[in-house]
Amino acid sequence: MNRRVFLMSVAGAAGCGGGVPRLNVYNWSDYVAPDTIPGFEREFRVRVHYGTYESIPEMLAKVMSGNSGWDVVFPSAEYVRPMREMGLVAPLRHDWLPNLQALDAAFQHPSWDPELRWSVPYMHGTTGIAYQRSLAPQPRAWSDLWDERLRGRITMLDDPPEVLGACLKKLGYSLNSGDPNELRRAKQEAIAQKRLLRAYLNAEVRDQLVAGDVGAAQAWAVTAAQAIAAARGELAFVLPAEGFARFADNMAILRESRRSELAHHFIDYLLRPEVAAKIVQATRTATANGAAHKLLPPEIRENPVLYPPPEVLARGEWFEPQSAASQSLRDRLWTEIKSA
Amino acid sequence: MKPLRSLFLAPAAALMIVTIAVPLAIICFYSLLTRGAYGGVERPWTTENYRLLFDPLYGAIFLRSFWIAAVATALCLVLGFPLALFIARSGSRKNLYLSLVILPFWTSFLIRTYAWMFLLRDTGLINTGLQAAGLIHTPLPMLYNDGAVILGLVYGYLPFTVLPLYATLERLDKSLLEAAADLGSPPWNTLFRVMLPLCAPGIRAGAILVFVPCLGTYLTSDLLGGSKTILIGNLVQNQFTAARDWPFGAAASLTLMAVAMALLFAVRRQGEELL
Repeated sequence: MNRRVFLMSVAGAAGCGGGVPRLNVYNWSDYVAPDTIPGFEREFRVRVHYGTYESIPEMLAKVMSGNSGWDVVFPSAEYVRPMREMGLVAPLRHDWLPNLQALDAAFQHPSWDPELRWSVPYMHGTTGIAYQRSLAPQPRAWSDLWDERLRGRITMLDDPPEVLGACLKKLGYSLNSGDPNELRRAKQEAIAQKRLLRAYLNAEVRDQLVAGDVGAAQAWAVTAAQAIAAARGELAFVLPAEGFARFADNMAILRESRRSELAHHFIDYLLRPEVAAKIVQATRTATANGAAHKLLPPEIRENPVLYPPPEVLARGEWFEPQSAASQSLRDRLWTEIKSA
Repeated sequence: MKPLRSLFLAPAAALMIVTIAVPLAIICFYSLLTRGAYGGVERPWTTENYRLLFDPLYGAIFLRSFWIAAVATALCLVLGFPLALFIARSGSRKNLYLSLVILPFWTSFLIRTYAWMFLLRDTGLINTGLQAAGLIHTPLPMLYNDGAVILGLVYGYLPFTVLPLYATLERLDKSLLEAAADLGSPPWNTLFRVMLPLCAPGIRAGAILVFVPCLGTYLTSDLLGGSKTILIGNLVQNQFTAARDWPFGAAASLTLMAVAMALLFAVRRQGEELL
C-alpha cells in the first residue's frame, strides 16, 4: 500500500463511512442532551462522530495541527481571538444560520467577537462562592475566604486563572491583569490564603459541599447549582462584591473542515430554541439562547445561580487572552503558590 | 536459525521502537525548542528549558518528590517483607494469598484512590465511625495532606514489593537459617545477617518498582493531597495542560528520567554493599 492509497483510505474512514456524510464534533464533556446528536443524525441523514474534552489545552493540542479531522469545536471566549489569529477557525456564513436571532440580546454582540463572524455563544457561566447557609457571617466577598475562622473548611478551584483572578479582584485589580507587580501581590494573597485551605478542588467540591465537609468554596455556578439542588436548602451561592469571573463557551467551525455547510446546519440545529432548551434541562447550564430560555420550566428559568440579574452580572469580568510574557509569569507564580 | 530468531523478534522490536524510542526522541526534540504561545513548540533551538530547572524553586520540587517517594518505598518494604514471608511460608494457601495481593489490580487505580477519599473524608467512614464510638469529637483531618499522599502511594504500590520479595523468600534455602540457629545466632541476628542479605535482589527489585513510579506520580498528590503540594509529576502535567509550556515540561520529564536511571545504576552497583 503506497502512501497515497493509505491516506485516501484514512480520509475515507474518517470522512464518510459507507456513503453517509459524517460530521466530526468535538465538545466539552456533559454539554449536550442524550437525544441531541441522534436527533441531528436522523433529520439530516448523517453520522456524527462526537468526541469530548475536559480542557481547552486538550482541544487546542489536537486542532493546532490543522488536520485533526474535527469540524465543529467549542472554544471558550478568551480563546476565540487566539484561534482566529492562528488561522484555525473559519468565518461563519450567517445566511446558513437563520436561528442566530434566537440568541439572547446580551450575546448578539459579545466583546470577543462583536459581529459573530467566527463564533456563536453557546453556554455561559460565572465563578463565585458556594457556602453553607449555617455560616455566620455569610460570605459576601472574596476577602471572606481569607477568614481564619474557616480554617480547613475553604477550597479554591484548581485552576490558575481562577485563583489568581480571585486574588486580583480581592486587591481591586482586573482579573486579566498582566502587570507583574499586581500579579506578584496576587500571588502573596494566594500564599497567605493557602494555609487556611482544605484543598484546591474543581467539580469534585460538589459532593463535599453537600456532605458538609466544606464550609465555603470558590466554585463554578454550574457546580454550585448542582450542589444546591442536592443539599435541600443548606447551601447558597454568592457572586462576590469585588467582582468575579464570567466565561462563555462558543461554537466554531474549523478552517480545515471540508463539510462547512453541514457544520453550519449543526450549529443552526443547536441554536433551535427547543433543542437548546432540552440541552439546558439535561446539563443544568446557562444557555446563551434567549428563545430557549423562555421555554424552560420556571425552576430552571428563574434559578438565580445560573441566571443572575443583570445588575449583578454587571460586576463580572470576562476572561481575556494573556500575552506570552504575562502567561509565562502566571505559570511561574502558580508553581510558586503550589510549592509554598 | 539466526534469521528465524530475528523474524520472531521483529514485531516486539518494532513495537518498542514505535512506542518507546520514537516518543522519547520527540520529547528530546521538544525539550530543546521554544514554547508556542498556545502550546506546541517553535524555533529557535535553546537549552534554556534545562537551565531553568536549576532554579531553586524546581530544585525544591525535585527534593520533595524524592522525599515522598523514598518514604513510600521504605514503608512498602517494611510492610511488605513480613507479608511476603508469611505468604512464602503458608504452604498450600500460598496461591490464595498471592491472588488476594493482586486482587486490587482488577479495579482501576483511580477508582481505588477515590475510595480512599471516601474513607478519609471528614464525613467519611473512619471519622464517622470514630465519632459514633465517642473516641473523637471533631473529625480528624486525614485527607489532603502529605500523610494521605504517602498512604495512597503505599497502598497502591505495596503489591510491587510483596511479589519480588515473595519470589526470593520462596527460593530461600531454609537450611541456611537452620545452620545459623544451630551455630547459636539469635533470631533477630539471623534475620539481619542471613535472611536480609540473601533477599537483597528481591528488596532491590521491590524498591525500584515502587520508587520509580512514586517519583513520577501526579494523580495521588492531586486527589489525596488536594493539589496543595506540587511534585515533579504535577509540574510536568501542568506544563502540558494549563501552562502550555511543552518544551519545559519535556525538559522536566527527561531530567526526572535521567535522575531515576542514575539512581537505578547506583543501586545495581552498590546494592550489595548498601544492604
